[in-house]
Amino acid sequence: MEEKYFICEDSLEGIFTGIYEAYALREGHEHVHIQIGEEDNLRLFAVYLHIFPDAVKTDKVVRTLKQRLGEHVYHTLCRAAASCYPDKGEAVYRTVVDAITAGSGRRVLGNFKNPYVARCFELARFTANEAHFETEFIRFQELMAGVSGEKAVLFSKIGPKNNVVPFVMPHFADRLSIENFMIYDEHRKLFGVHPAREEWYLVSAGEEFDLQKLEFSEKEEGYQELFRAFHRTIGIKSRENKHLQRQMCAYRYQDYMVEFQQK
Amino acid sequence: MDIRIAPQMSVMDKLKILGAAAKYDVSCSSSGSFRRNDGQGIGNTVAAGLCHSFAADGRCVSLLKILFTNECIYDCRYCMNRCSNDVPRASFTPDEVCELTMEFYRRNYIEGLFLSSGILYSPNYTMELICETIHRLRTVHRFQGYIHVKAIPGADPLLIQRAGYLADRMSVNLEMATAEGLRAIAPNKHRKTILKPMRQIQNGITENKNELTLYRHAPHFCEAGQSTQMVIGALPESDYQIMSVAENLYDKFSLKRVYYSAFVNVNEDRDLPALAGGPPLLREHRLYQADWLLRFYGFKVDELLTEKRPNFNTAIDPKADWAVRHLEQFPVEINRADYHMLLRIPGVGVKSAGRILAARRFGNLTFEDLKKIGVVLKRALYFITCNGKMMYPTKLEENYIVQNLVYQNQMGRGERLPFLADGTAYRQMSLFDGEEWSGNLRAVGE
Repeated sequence: MEEKYFICEDSLEGIFTGIYEAYALREGHEHVHIQIGEEDNLRLFAVYLHIFPDAVKTDKVVRTLKQRLGEHVYHTLCRAAASCYPDKGEAVYRTVVDAITAGSGRRVLGNFKNPYVARCFELARFTANEAHFETEFIRFQELMAGVSGEKAVLFSKIGPKNNVVPFVMPHFADRLSIENFMIYDEHRKLFGVHPAREEWYLVSAGEEFDLQKLEFSEKEEGYQELFRAFHRTIGIKSRENKHLQRQMCAYRYQDYMVEFQQK
Repeated sequence: MDIRIAPQMSVMDKLKILGAAAKYDVSCSSSGSFRRNDGQGIGNTVAAGLCHSFAADGRCVSLLKILFTNECIYDCRYCMNRCSNDVPRASFTPDEVCELTMEFYRRNYIEGLFLSSGILYSPNYTMELICETIHRLRTVHRFQGYIHVKAIPGADPLLIQRAGYLADRMSVNLEMATAEGLRAIAPNKHRKTILKPMRQIQNGITENKNELTLYRHAPHFCEAGQSTQMVIGALPESDYQIMSVAENLYDKFSLKRVYYSAFVNVNEDRDLPALAGGPPLLREHRLYQADWLLRFYGFKVDELLTEKRPNFNTAIDPKADWAVRHLEQFPVEINRADYHMLLRIPGVGVKSAGRILAARRFGNLTFEDLKKIGVVLKRALYFITCNGKMMYPTKLEENYIVQNLVYQNQMGRGERLPFLADGTAYRQMSLFDGEEWSGNLRAVGE
């Protein structure tokens, strides 16, 4: 039987729509595969189908996953789907098959025997870890307050490997509920926006968005300077250990943190 | 009574002085309390805690750790801020502390405030200032993040109670493991006055728990519990003494954490040891490892150390050390052992033990699976079997295993075939070579 490759968009919707189509095909799952992005190296005797993300189908998949597998497994699958690795589509798809069709159900994530489940677990862990680091290492900068006298906007720029903004936003939306803030993922050109006392949402940055045009409030520099000074003094000279510091807070995060920018 | 503040000192100067003065306090965790934002102010707390940065010494910066003032009437020998030292003195005002905390917190620099203080005039006066500051932070600024404050020994119980209802965590530093040690090194502090507030906080927490079961919205008292700190290496106490004290504190005072702080001779005091090789960091590390074994792995101090063998082996970690001395319990069959035995295998942690239990339901586990689960096979392989087989042919022998573990530590990382599998292969030279090796092993660190 010929292999079928579903080419899906690199997003949660894309992958879930792919899973929906794979089930809708009713041909079993042995010969169906999900691929993210473009078909790179075409195979002989294989059919390539382009799948376009569909909100209704995604909703159906989400509902089924939540109902049958529980919130925990569902969230793990979402994290895996936000990974930066291209094999995530196949890993998430096969994990769903293991859980729903092969019947391991809510316990599916314990099934390390299945290489796809193990991979899915690994991808989800990477995303979760990175999201955790970003909640710690994000640095907000206060922008110049507008004329209307509203509270100033806090702005933060990050450059994560995985798509972590959707996982980071709920934390800050609770913590800084009375603040206007936004988090900008510069690799994906994606904004997480939270207006004070309202729900947060995601926005794609337009072409005309220019970081250089941002203006910061007068007090901003002063507080950055204070924190840099605090950060310098808190280290104990006789215990210095740059290796440990780098191990706990990798250079790729340090690039975005005010205390590591020498001024 | 006015607060003595050096004239024209900027917040920056104060922060530098009082941040530096607080840095030898180890506790910086922001864990243990979970609170959502109520929509009225900023802040929440996360049960696991968050570290927001890492200083040059690799320790985390989670809280804005400062002293309220570094003026002090006490003269503790190990302390930088003792009254006989000629150091620049500074004091914050409550408003300055509040403003710094709020602005740092908004920018996600910190997880909350850690407020300690030198003793200004009297313990009561100091405790009152601390209470005033955090009260203002909680009510005027509606700050809902994490607050950790020191209970000043000798302060009025009412003040400590008041602080407890405002803070997430409180701590009283034990400083030295033994009462004699404390007397020698800190003439103004007494074991009794330290343990009294500790007991008070413990009772407060228990009462509060009962209250909360009755009235869901009762105010929380020290939601994240209390912690303490001991200085390591200033006096000739053994690890056994230190760990026994820690165990007692966990059992009898229900502490959340005991911190160990490698002694740094900041004052170059002639009665305190000059540590040529720098602070005893490896010893501190071993104590923390043992501390984790007590709290999460179900070990008792008497299993790890004895009167005759009062110090940890610095060459290998306490868990591996325990395992090689109890080889009669090994090898452990991964597919059958219960959770508590799994936890005792070197290289298996709380998370991987849980994952092993979950994965066993789907079939027998192999070494390949264990690797995916996250078991550190280079340590575990001497102690486990999968389906009755060991990973490599190894000897279940104390010297052999210790040699291999030590060798791995020296070489850094990477999984490695155990050399000497045939008994004749290449042998790494080490400090511990020699006939009386096993005798030496016991003597290491003594």
